[in-house]
Amino acid sequence: MTALLKIENLSKVYDDDSREHAVIDNLSLEVEQGEFLCILGPSGCGKTTLLRCIAGFERCRGRILVDGREIAGPGTDRIMVFQDFNQLFPWLTVERNIQYALKCQGVRDRRKLADIAADVLAKVKMSGFEKHYPYQLSGGMKQRVAIAKALALKPAIILMDEPFAALDAITRNTLQQEVLAISRQEKCTIIFITHNIQEGIVLGTRLMLMQHGGRVAMDLRNPIPRPVSPSSPGYGALWDRMHAALYATQEV
Amino acid sequence: MKDSVRSLLQKVAFVAVLLAAWEIAARAHVFGPRSEIIFPTLEAVGAAFVKNFAKGYAGVTLWVYLANSMKLLLAGMGIGIGMAFLCSGLSMVSRTFHNLYSLLVAVADLLPGVALLPVVIIIFGVKPGVIVFLVVHSVVWPMSRNLIDGFRAVPRLYVEAGMNIGLSRAGLLFGIYIPAAMSYILSGLKVGWARAWRGLISAEMIFGIASAPGIGLFINQMRTNMNNAEMYATLVVIIIIGLIVQYGILNPIEKHTVGKWGMRKS
Repeated sequence: MTALLKIENLSKVYDDDSREHAVIDNLSLEVEQGEFLCILGPSGCGKTTLLRCIAGFERCRGRILVDGREIAGPGTDRIMVFQDFNQLFPWLTVERNIQYALKCQGVRDRRKLADIAADVLAKVKMSGFEKHYPYQLSGGMKQRVAIAKALALKPAIILMDEPFAALDAITRNTLQQEVLAISRQEKCTIIFITHNIQEGIVLGTRLMLMQHGGRVAMDLRNPIPRPVSPSSPGYGALWDRMHAALYATQEV
Repeated sequence: MKDSVRSLLQKVAFVAVLLAAWEIAARAHVFGPRSEIIFPTLEAVGAAFVKNFAKGYAGVTLWVYLANSMKLLLAGMGIGIGMAFLCSGLSMVSRTFHNLYSLLVAVADLLPGVALLPVVIIIFGVKPGVIVFLVVHSVVWPMSRNLIDGFRAVPRLYVEAGMNIGLSRAGLLFGIYIPAAMSYILSGLKVGWARAWRGLISAEMIFGIASAPGIGLFINQMRTNMNNAEMYATLVVIIIIGLIVQYGILNPIEKHTVGKWGMRKS
């Protein structure tokens, strides 16, 4: 079986002023269908850049293949859920935000649009908020809608860039559980960036640690059976190991 | 008390005070014998207002002048706004176009339209097109300025989210840039409208066309004949139209777009 996502020799160089600065240097990576890959790493290690390259927002060297086809820009097979709460279009209601994305894909049938929106909003527990405008929602609710929008488009991969980083701990935990449930139900492939070791261990079927220059310092299958909680056997040891590795990368 | 009612009452009270001050000044003859010309009484202005519409000047009522002005104004604003959207849209696509167009806007916005009048008359002849040209000139630059600023202020996030759901370039313009820049577009419309209205009247005052006499020409005729009450009454008409556009058109648009979306610029 070939990997769903295949990244070959990816490099991304930022040109700031005179000196070139390689954020990602010759990175190769494969992600299988159905994997929940959590990428951790210190600030500035290139996690977000990697995700943006996969989304097609950045120009980079190397090849990125989804389902065997090389990507040439942004596309609905890779939907990004940003960290910023303001990723919904404020001029559209919750329902229309989702339907607009579908309309761009050529879905015209009103009934079908309404059904899909209702269905995905139910999945993220946002039924009843269809007619709200984004400014009327809390940060956590906006992130739920953003996830619903991603689900509606049925992408091959959902890319999440620290979507819960700016949320309070309680909302964050709730949303983690929901994303976990959705990912198992829908069998979707997710690449999830986080700073938070707990989040990585709870969500990921695979954990990857990046260090500066976009090098992969650690890449392992999450050994703890789901659902993971801090009392799961092996949680403490894994947490310690990730923690030590994370701090080791930071000293470099 | 509801905010809207309070706001309305405040405005009414403010106008009443101004009118009262005017009337007191008129009755007190503060300028001596000249007072009747500088401060005609409200009654005289009111009578002139009715007379303007009923009898008008030389057999032509103010309605006719007004209709002519409105036609030219709407044509000019339509063309001006259309051009502003087109050129600002293009300057989002092409970097070179943006550089040159920004320069053009910066320069042309400073040029007083009436200064160009003689040249424009030579080009167009003595035709209503001249007035339309001046209205376009007064609308297109401030509108473009706002549109370009507005488009540039659209958060990168919306653009990327738009690209992610598969929008084309044109799709991004209509689906993302225009709604996201709505508060800028509206303030551009406000400035553009005010400039157009003023530009129209000054052009008509300096250069009234007999074939299409406008409200500016009417003011000029009243002015030259020292019919100051009639002149003031015509200014009142201008104010009323301005208020109708502001409160009847622009404010509702604002309320139903950026107001409803929680995007109002504070």
